[in-house]
Amino acid sequence: MATFELYRRSTIGMCLTETLDDMVSTGTLNPEVAIQVLVQFDRSMTEALETQVKSKVTIKGHLHTYRFCDNVWTFILQDATFKNEEGHEQVGKVKIVACDSKLLTQ
Amino acid sequence: MTNQGEGSSQPVDLRQHPSGIVPTLQNIVSTVNLDCKLDLKSIALQARNAEYNPKRFAAVIMRIREPKTTALIFASGKMVCTGAKSEHQSKLAARKYARIIQKLNFPAKFKDFKIQNIVGSCDVKFPIRLEGLAYAHGPFSSYEPELFPGLIYRMKQPKIVLLIFVSGKIVLTGAKVRDETYQAFENIYPVLTEFRKSSQ
Repeated sequence: MATFELYRRSTIGMCLTETLDDMVSTGTLNPEVAIQVLVQFDRSMTEALETQVKSKVTIKGHLHTYRFCDNVWTFILQDATFKNEEGHEQVGKVKIVACDSKLLTQ
Repeated sequence: MTNQGEGSSQPVDLRQHPSGIVPTLQNIVSTVNLDCKLDLKSIALQARNAEYNPKRFAAVIMRIREPKTTALIFASGKMVCTGAKSEHQSKLAARKYARIIQKLNFPAKFKDFKIQNIVGSCDVKFPIRLEGLAYAHGPFSSYEPELFPGLIYRMKQPKIVLLIFVSGKIVLTGAKVRDETYQAFENIYPVLTEFRKSSQ
């Protein structure tokens, strides 16, 4: 199944990429294997978010900018509130990039 | 009779509005030709508040906040601007969209700007017997309460379509200039008073 590379830019994805880069440059890892690991990471993130994450977050804020192009929604919110079961947090500015996972299964 | 300069407290000019009611303009649709071919994808990627989904609709949908409007921008360079509350605001908004397109390095012009439709509405503040009105004005009226609760009145002069509701709320559409909206309302007003529902 095809996956998005969206989560590579998350903290955990960046850390993984960094580690793999180090290992490749020191010669402890074959570059092809490193790529495979990243592809597996994409799959695992998608699957984990789908099956293991039960909590829901609501985000509310002033919609400064939106865009829909190439089936990707981009939202820039100002003074956003992130709310979940545990509480809420204020963020001055946040960018949301959202892809439609249904497109991958087609 | 109530003077309804809706949205403003100025007295109503009774020579132009004998009914004392001035329909409020709710939506203006205008078109303009930017007179250059446009790359919609590059517009959608660069401009803010743009949607482009060529599978669903062959135009970029763009919005601005002031005047609060929506534009449909086509690859041919033709543009439709909707949502403005006055002719002036519609033109101002269309200019702003043209300016956005220019800033993205397209040689956009501003050709053949035209107001295509004006929608107005008002409230006569008394209930209306739609059945009686439909019967008396048969050739102009279509009243099918099972399909739509309003009476559709197709006025010939000026050529305006009115939606008349039991509540006394009226919608007027089809005008190219606002005076047609006003004239249509003044024409229908005596008819509405004739079919005023006596309150129970």
